[in-house]
Amino acid sequence: MYTAIIFLPLLGALIAGFLGPWIKDLGAQLVTCGALLLSAVLAVVAFVEVAIGGQPRTIELASWITSGSFDASWSLRWDTLTAVMVLVVTVVSSMVHVYSIGYMSHDDSKPRFMAYLSLFTFAMLMLVSADNLVQMFFGWEGVGVASYLLIGFWYHKPSANAAAIKAFVVNRVGDFGFALGILGIYLLFDSVSLDVIFAAAPEKAGTVMSFLWMEADALTVLSILLFIGAMGKSAQLGLHTWLPDAMEGPTPVSALIHAATMVTAGVFLVARMSPMFEYAPTALAVVTVVGAATAFFAATVGTCQNDIKRVIAYSTCSQLGYMFFALGVSAYSAAIFHLMTHAFFKALLFLSAGSVIHALHDEQDMRNMGGIWRKIPFTYAMMWIGSLALAGIPFFAGYYSKDLIIEAAWASHSGVGHFAFWMGITAALLTAFYSWRLLFMTFHGKPRMDQHTLEHAHESPPSMTVPLAVLALGAVISGFVGYDVFVGTQMDAFWGASIKVLPENNTIEAAHHVALWVKILPIGVAAAGISLAYIAYILKPELPAMFVARFRPLYLFLLNKWYFDELYDWLFVKRAWQIGRWFWQGGDRAIIDGFGPDGISMVARWCAGQAGRLQTGYLYHYAFAMLIGVVALVSWYLAFGG
Amino acid sequence: MDTVTTLPVMMPAAAEIFLTVVGMVLLMAGVFRGEKMLKPLAWATVAAFILAAGLVIMYGGTGAAFFGLFVTEAFAQFAKILILLGSGFAILLSLGYLKSEKAGRFEYPVLILFATVGMMLMVSANDLMALYMGLEMQSLALYVIAAIRRDTLRSTEAGLKYFVLGALSSGMLLYGCSLIYGFTGTTSFEVLAQVFAADSTPSTGLIVGLVFLITGLAFKVSAVPFHMWTPDVYEGAPTPVTALFAVAPKVAALALFVRVMSEPFGDLLASWQQILVFLSIASMVFGALAAMVQTNIKRLMAYSSIGHMGYALVGLAAGNEAGITGVMIYLATYIFMNIGAFACILAMRRDGRLVEELSDLTGLSKTHPMMALALMIFMFSMAGIPPLAGFFGKWYVFLAAVEAGLFGLAVIGVLASVVGAFYYLRIVKLMYFDDAENPLDSKVAGDLRLILYGSAAVTLLFFLVISPIYDSARAAAASLIGA
Amino acid sequence: MVVQALVFYGLAFVAVASGVMVVVSRNPVHSVLFLILAFFNAAGLFVLMGAEFLAMILIVVYVGAVAVLFLFVVMMLDINFVELRQGFLRYLPIGTLIGLVLLAELILVVGGWTVAPEVPQALGTPIPPPNEVSNIDALGRLIYTRYVLLFQISGLVLLIAMIGAIVLTLRSRVGVKKQSIETQNARDPADVIKVIKVTRGGGV
Repeated sequence: MYTAIIFLPLLGALIAGFLGPWIKDLGAQLVTCGALLLSAVLAVVAFVEVAIGGQPRTIELASWITSGSFDASWSLRWDTLTAVMVLVVTVVSSMVHVYSIGYMSHDDSKPRFMAYLSLFTFAMLMLVSADNLVQMFFGWEGVGVASYLLIGFWYHKPSANAAAIKAFVVNRVGDFGFALGILGIYLLFDSVSLDVIFAAAPEKAGTVMSFLWMEADALTVLSILLFIGAMGKSAQLGLHTWLPDAMEGPTPVSALIHAATMVTAGVFLVARMSPMFEYAPTALAVVTVVGAATAFFAATVGTCQNDIKRVIAYSTCSQLGYMFFALGVSAYSAAIFHLMTHAFFKALLFLSAGSVIHALHDEQDMRNMGGIWRKIPFTYAMMWIGSLALAGIPFFAGYYSKDLIIEAAWASHSGVGHFAFWMGITAALLTAFYSWRLLFMTFHGKPRMDQHTLEHAHESPPSMTVPLAVLALGAVISGFVGYDVFVGTQMDAFWGASIKVLPENNTIEAAHHVALWVKILPIGVAAAGISLAYIAYILKPELPAMFVARFRPLYLFLLNKWYFDELYDWLFVKRAWQIGRWFWQGGDRAIIDGFGPDGISMVARWCAGQAGRLQTGYLYHYAFAMLIGVVALVSWYLAFGG
Repeated sequence: MDTVTTLPVMMPAAAEIFLTVVGMVLLMAGVFRGEKMLKPLAWATVAAFILAAGLVIMYGGTGAAFFGLFVTEAFAQFAKILILLGSGFAILLSLGYLKSEKAGRFEYPVLILFATVGMMLMVSANDLMALYMGLEMQSLALYVIAAIRRDTLRSTEAGLKYFVLGALSSGMLLYGCSLIYGFTGTTSFEVLAQVFAADSTPSTGLIVGLVFLITGLAFKVSAVPFHMWTPDVYEGAPTPVTALFAVAPKVAALALFVRVMSEPFGDLLASWQQILVFLSIASMVFGALAAMVQTNIKRLMAYSSIGHMGYALVGLAAGNEAGITGVMIYLATYIFMNIGAFACILAMRRDGRLVEELSDLTGLSKTHPMMALALMIFMFSMAGIPPLAGFFGKWYVFLAAVEAGLFGLAVIGVLASVVGAFYYLRIVKLMYFDDAENPLDSKVAGDLRLILYGSAAVTLLFFLVISPIYDSARAAAASLIGA
Repeated sequence: MVVQALVFYGLAFVAVASGVMVVVSRNPVHSVLFLILAFFNAAGLFVLMGAEFLAMILIVVYVGAVAVLFLFVVMMLDINFVELRQGFLRYLPIGTLIGLVLLAELILVVGGWTVAPEVPQALGTPIPPPNEVSNIDALGRLIYTRYVLLFQISGLVLLIAMIGAIVLTLRSRVGVKKQSIETQNARDPADVIKVIKVTRGGGV
């Protein structure tokens, strides 16, 4: 069963991908959805057995690479952390699969889409169930490839291609860190197996290794390298730029990959490696600061975006920031808890947004929406539930997890913790504001789209609304159902050995006993944010324009996402472009139009030209070249080799 | 003198003897029954290859035959299986071609069979003379096969060029052998090994002989600067013949190269390592650079194979067990990628005629999505992108180079593979991002499709079986130098 | 011994000189003739070493068959050698340079000739004294026993060469009249012979 959960999606992907032309659209949809639903059901059973029943296990599949002391095998590690992740991934993924049947109904290449989705799911499951870092890296790269394929799914759109490449390249930077981290771990622990690493981590604490030009604490360096990998995948500040662009992909993709699952891989990685991070306090501080900064940064940008999916994308980015600073203050279980609730409500928001887009014929700009809540009441309701959960309004899922994170940050009583706390509070205010800005701009006010679109606005088919309902259920109840087991009284029994927290870092416990104002403040700011949005977009719609006129630089700063893209463009892309031109001009020009005046270009062209000239076709030239080669080799040997 | 009166041991050479007998029987059948026998003969040859592979596996151990001129061990078996695979697939690829181009001649499968026997003898050679004879046997058959379409100018030109340059290289090889014989008084690998084990500071003349020997072998694996024949012959020879050239003889020559360098001359590592490093770097860099400007896909494959041989030589240059393991894995992956790529090339037809320009591939993903996908897999694999088969080959040889302390070689290899990736990806770009002006015929023969998808699947899923392959490659390497 | 050395140097000199002449002769027929001369001298060297069988084989095969075949080919194909030599002068300097380098290196090699001390023992198959075993006998004992594999492969190489020659050159031309023994034998006289009574003075 445990194996089947992981491999059913692969089977579905293979069938849909390779037999697509034969089994037709419907067949591909049935196969992949069936495989995923079955996998989800089994995942629930596995969750009950492993997590609730407390029976972690490891399943050996096959040996993979054995080379000296390097031993990596295919095996599945089923502990509570895995079970939670598998549950989230399979449930959300199966819902997205079903949703896609409706959403992609006008597309030509459905089997391909379904195959990619299933392939992604398989890679993600491989990632979360990995027993060693190499296998995890395999899954890690697998989700990267699947994400690349899905972002660029509409390959005829240049923007989609560009976004796909951007996502791939930015992730590469992170992956480089991750790969270095794995190599370093192998160097230090002489193993890539998680069990071995975890067992040896305490005694390696304080080991010094030389990194770049300096001597540094080994565990800190390795943890930060791993965290760089996590930053790339989870779009943390600095490596976040690909995520909003990735919204060029179909909406179900955004929901599955760029909200619920893949982007949380970084969170998972850090939680998984908690036994190592715990011994690297500096690394944890870095995680906290980066996470908190991301939460704040993304929330500010979210307030000024106009593309409905980009708003949600920045919201995702911001929520990931929350998860990371939770990790940073050792509240791993809170981070995973938020990961789970977030997966539900963010998938819900994305799919609802997809439903809106679907209803308005692929319109994504909120400035061209408005006043459609009567037309699509169900989607409207779903959007409300999602937003309430996101803003952390009491008794919705987000309230339990997000507030706990903020409290844990406060309870950590460290400088970075307090920084994270205040960033988190500000971000909470902004979150509520932009969520309701989105709601109001999309559904209320005067319709701003053309007449034709308005008339044809319609509620989505059941294949889209049913998954919405399921996810909405999750967004409402997953909070209070999960609270006790994930972070409450039964926490220790639940997580078992899968997460390790040093006694002195037990912030969750402390978070339950913080001052009342700390507990109330997040709710207060959320309410304030909602009111602000209500005033700005319903009561006095002229207010935002006034604000923009008054604080134009600030507005532009936010609208342009803090000029990150421009900065990177200038700093890396332009430079890389220059270097690239420098390197490749020869190859390019030699192929395209011949001459290039630049030095390097001339050399490369000359090489290619010489290569061509050598290949004259005359036999005696060839024979002569061989003779020269022999003489050169002999002379070389006589001169240097003797 | 004492005369050897006992019958020689022959069992270790059972597969070769079997194939030779079958070859002669098939030749008779062809002569008496005429051209209509082509198809049955081709299938019979494939069947004989399968049986021979069975014989190779059945005789699993280490053994010597014919008074020590012929040896077999795990290494030879590994290489022979690869050779039989390559030759067998090449024959299967030819069937449709020979029929459609009306170039069928019954001698074709028989010649391939004899060439294959020659290759197997090369791999098992344990004496400079046996080495030369095996080499000549396979070369002679291949010269003829290259020119088998004697009515087309390009085919005959290819055959002639191959022949003349091959003769030159054979001459150099023989010259090297005679120098070595002159300085040591023996041609037997075992005795040579003993001589060098006792005295590892060789005389200059011996090393010059060794250089000539390496030259001859480098010609066969088409390492730069002895590669000049490759693009012309690849382009001129009929495509299925090119497919054969690209796989089986390369495996055989490289296996022979490995054996010669590590068995008799293993103790002279310090003397020949530099030469091999040079050959390897030159091949990798030149293969990558020259391939960028090609427009004909067969020429491109020629430069690609030059580059690949350069990578494989990295493993040999490392000169350790890990290096030989890497070479064997590299060859195993190389066979499947190349067979698949050539199946694609053979499937490129427009209005029933074969085309072979790169520009003919534009927009392939729209007209032949599956074929484009398969070709993309091969190209990615050749570029060495994980987790495809080609990546593992490169990984193991570079690993071995690093282990042997050849950091510069490994770095240049990685750089060359990055440059090489450029032209592989150019093909992918042509297929996926450019629009087809002139689509290829939509019908692809069933047998080609089967080979195409089969090798694509192997290339794609190679990482699943890397462990057993690695184990057997390692056993092969150990049988050669570990013992 | 002096005589032997004199003969050796004489033969060797003529062999090398005629080798040079093969390359530099203007007339291709002369080249082939010089080639034959070189073969004869090589055969003489063999005789000097007591390998009279090899000497005879060399004469018979190379002079009798190969070189004469060359001669025929050269004379029958009207090849314009002057044109072929067009590139000769252009490549002469670099060619000479390469040749000289190689020559220098080989001299260096020969100059540093040190035979490994193990060589005499390592010789797997020492030459038997000629007064005990005749040349052919000695060769036969080796070829058919110890080197039987090589002998067999040589056979296969020749077989392949034969197949190759046939594949590349044999054509069944249409419209060429050939003798067909079966048809001849199968002919029934009744079908093809008609007896005509010829009247005297009337003609046929």
